[in-house]
Amino acid sequence: MASQVLPQALHMIPRNQVQPFNPVKNRGFSAFLSRGPSPLTTSKVSVSGFHSKFPVGSSFSCFARRGFVVRAESNPEGEGEAERNENGVEEPETKAEAEVEGEGEGEGEDEAEEEKPKEPRKPRIKLGDIMGILNKRAIEASDKERPTPDLRTGDIVEIKLEVPENRRRLSVYKGIVISKQNAGIHTTIRIRRIIAGIGVEIVFPVYSPNIKEIKVVKHRKVRRARLYYLRDKLPRLSTFK
Amino acid sequence: MWQFPVSDQVPQISGNRQACGNRFDKQQRTFIQMRTVLKVVDNSGAKKVMCIQALKGKKGARLGDTIIASVKEAMPNGKVKKGKVVYGVVVRAAMQRGRCDGSEVKFDDNAVVLVDKQGQPIGTRVFGPVPHELRQKKHVKILTLAEHIA
Repeated sequence: MASQVLPQALHMIPRNQVQPFNPVKNRGFSAFLSRGPSPLTTSKVSVSGFHSKFPVGSSFSCFARRGFVVRAESNPEGEGEAERNENGVEEPETKAEAEVEGEGEGEGEDEAEEEKPKEPRKPRIKLGDIMGILNKRAIEASDKERPTPDLRTGDIVEIKLEVPENRRRLSVYKGIVISKQNAGIHTTIRIRRIIAGIGVEIVFPVYSPNIKEIKVVKHRKVRRARLYYLRDKLPRLSTFK
Repeated sequence: MWQFPVSDQVPQISGNRQACGNRFDKQQRTFIQMRTVLKVVDNSGAKKVMCIQALKGKKGARLGDTIIASVKEAMPNGKVKKGKVVYGVVVRAAMQRGRCDGSEVKFDDNAVVLVDKQGQPIGTRVFGPVPHELRQKKHVKILTLAEHIA
């Protein structure tokens, strides 16, 4: 088992083993830990035992300061291979995650860091920013194919939609924007219109590839962000030729 | 602060989402189930029907589903009479129906088109807009009769 490999691994860690695991450092392993695979949890227990038996110098005390996360790091040797084999799917995921983070440096992790030639320090991307960055990229990608105008509540817009079922022509939807929900790539607008005597409200995702064109035809002055009151009002107010 | 009138404006039926905060914040429309009265939008003679069974779905019928209904109000000379049990296809529902591209559609009322057991409409005209979900449900005849496809 890994326990036989461990004594050597514990000694070798600061010098050799940290390098391949640098990108996956705290983030990667905390991600591993959050998934709670059994080899890691069993290893934690064994390592704590080893800590008491091998109080080896400064490197370990500095590792120990980090407590929870560090114990998993302390035996990358034995677990690394196991992890690579078992969590083969998860590994590229976390590695990709770590790359997206821009090879985030450790919180002042010492000797092992300074050894390898470092590139100029990139601004660290925090976990909370990832969704924002991904959304922005997706919006930029969709904007390249089709520019989206600035939409606000009260705009009277015309949307040309390609419906895969319809195949023949683009469906045209005209109406007033009664609400806009901002959610990154799934920003939606709700269009209301009276069609053939019946009020119809349709929610469109603004950045959908099915939407071929959005055009603002007119603007109505409104003093609200959501115009749900139009549902109770006369149909005349929601009619657009 | 002006609040919604506390009358029958807010049909606060337990919908598919949790109502948090003020009850009057959002109208929650839900399925078409037993005792739901629907408008008939074809010229089969009936005016209003009451749903007695939703054929598919545990909670009720949605846009495009078929229901069994009982005619509650009918025109004097029509193909169906009051009290008759008929099948119907829901063509407009106040509950939003999601489409595969992420859009949702909802109408202002609940409406049904009477059909026979095979799914062919009894009437010869359909009034008002219909959604193109019906094409997927194989109600092509109703789509061709429709005034407007939403």
